[in-house]
Amino acid sequence: MKYIKKLTKAREFSSLLFLIILFAIVGCINSSFLTPSSIAACFNDSVVFTLLAVGMAFAIFIGEIDVSVGANLGFTASVVGSLLRDGHSWVFAFGVGILIGALIGLINGWGVAVLNIPSLIFTLGTNGVLRGLIYVYTDGAWVENLPAAFTAFASKPLIGDLTIFYSVTIVAVIVIHILLTRTKKGKYFIAVGDNAGGATLVGIPTVQTKIVAYVLCGIFAAIASILYASRIGFITAIAGNGYEMKAIAACVIGGISLSGGLGSVIGASIGAIIMSSVSRILVFMGFSSDYDNTITGIMLITIVVLDALMQRHAAERIRRERLLNRAANSADNKGGEKA
Amino acid sequence: MNKIKKIVVNWETFLLALLILEFVVFGAKNAKFLMPRVLLASVNDFIAICFIALFVTFVMITGGIDIQAASIVGLTSIIIGVGWQDGGMNIWTAAAVAIIAAIVCGALSGFFIAYCGVQAMVVTLGGSFLYAGFALLVSNFSATEAYQGISGFPDDFKIISKFKLFGVIPSQLIAFLVLIIIAYILLHKSKYGRSIFLVGINQEAAEYSGINTRLVIMSTYILSAISAALAGIMLTSYLGTAKSDLGSNLTLNIITAVVLGGTLSTGGKGSVIGTALASLVIGILRFGLPLCFKVNTQYLDIPVGILLLVVVIGRAVLSRPETAALLKKFKKD
Repeated sequence: MKYIKKLTKAREFSSLLFLIILFAIVGCINSSFLTPSSIAACFNDSVVFTLLAVGMAFAIFIGEIDVSVGANLGFTASVVGSLLRDGHSWVFAFGVGILIGALIGLINGWGVAVLNIPSLIFTLGTNGVLRGLIYVYTDGAWVENLPAAFTAFASKPLIGDLTIFYSVTIVAVIVIHILLTRTKKGKYFIAVGDNAGGATLVGIPTVQTKIVAYVLCGIFAAIASILYASRIGFITAIAGNGYEMKAIAACVIGGISLSGGLGSVIGASIGAIIMSSVSRILVFMGFSSDYDNTITGIMLITIVVLDALMQRHAAERIRRERLLNRAANSADNKGGEKA
Repeated sequence: MNKIKKIVVNWETFLLALLILEFVVFGAKNAKFLMPRVLLASVNDFIAICFIALFVTFVMITGGIDIQAASIVGLTSIIIGVGWQDGGMNIWTAAAVAIIAAIVCGALSGFFIAYCGVQAMVVTLGGSFLYAGFALLVSNFSATEAYQGISGFPDDFKIISKFKLFGVIPSQLIAFLVLIIIAYILLHKSKYGRSIFLVGINQEAAEYSGINTRLVIMSTYILSAISAALAGIMLTSYLGTAKSDLGSNLTLNIITAVVLGGTLSTGGKGSVIGTALASLVIGILRFGLPLCFKVNTQYLDIPVGILLLVVVIGRAVLSRPETAALLKKFKKD
């Protein structure tokens, strides 16, 4: 009973509830949406966003943001794709990709944590540079003819209709969640985001934690790019354009507070499923999937505004309670003096 | 003497020097660059950056950020097109409707930021999705396919971008100059401008000194939306086509122009002249690199991104206590 109560209070729970209600409503309108294979497809399609959102979650946990993940994904995917196409081994290509992602994260982390530059502005700059580098690297051409074994890997199922990619990702997300909530070092991220000054005072290496968060964000974007290349099978010069926004939206929808220090990677992955299902849902409801971004925008604004209003309401209530208590206390004291 | 020194070490002077340097380098590389006709025609390519950056400066001085302005450009453009072609409106009525729509968009985002206390970054991020979506929605009302764009506007609408004063100075530059003057008076010479700075430095203090801080914050988003609408009208008139995705890649350039112009991204400091010069620096860079150095236009985000990074890194390094101490020591020696 205690666990159930704790579960319903969690911020991710409302996201999960939203996901279930959303699927139920769409299922009522068009029952073919609720077949196991269709739902599995929703999960499978969300794998790239799930990875991006989990990486982004680290940046948001510490109270910052990273808008370069989209370009990071595009650039890393181009490099990994071209290496695979030229017949290099998988291990080498993946290693190079993850190294690039980590390096991009390191640069972002250095600018934000060491130089104290506002994260949005710094990562907007790296985003622009990376976007351009994609054109320099590929000359604007598509990276095509990826090895068939590599692209076929994307659709291999593991459990039922769920692909290997998604199953492994979900296990990884759960492991990361446990690491973040149960280990000392894992709790650093939330602590830094909640109160950086306080975290420094209790001996948490704030700057290093921030850098690690950005490096992790870059690495997750790199892993996402490998999966992206495998799933799509070719990489255009605009690959991953706008994905950073979707990753942020997924985090917000998953109950992660953008002021930092609140939320979980489980929430981020639930948000990612909702995010990537929107276009599918639109099609099932008979609309054009062009409105994908519009719906995302509406959801994003609605959720943050509601969250802000609720937080303000809670703060107001606490303040009122405190004032009432104080008034009651002082009345008691006066009574005591008289007697 | 002191006054001269002050002017010399001024950030605006540095930007002006940078602008002149660009002219010298590009001009030396390719003489075609300095031909007045070519140079003045290039204004069309970056005028939207100049317009919008001026008023995004206001937003950033209050400590906010606006990444939705680029999507409002497309929204304005498509409203004009659809209003005129499919709604049967007069072209000027359509333009007025577009400006009103932009004001509503700016006010909506501004309201959420100022009155609900949501971070500006998230709201304008959502806004950029939302308004681009509205643009798509509006374009679907049209009989013309979205990718084709609506064209064939009347000549008196096209004239606002084709008009040249004395046969040389394009109307875009005149409009830019007028906007600079308006922005300068608003920000540096009016009570409203002082309250914008005060809100950026310390919102609570501003509130206690009797400024309606929320209204001030909201108004800056409306102003930047209006400037985006004006840019949308100018671009639509120049290109002769209304498209819903017009200006979608402007965000990096706008933010770079504002930051390069000397505006602190944390708020409280900034200048209209700085932004105006910086947007010209970026515009000329985007025009000169392809013309004189054969840089592919698709690569142009690299120099702009690097410029942004260099400025913010440079400023951060200079403001570090170690560097300040080092500089002092250097001066003494």
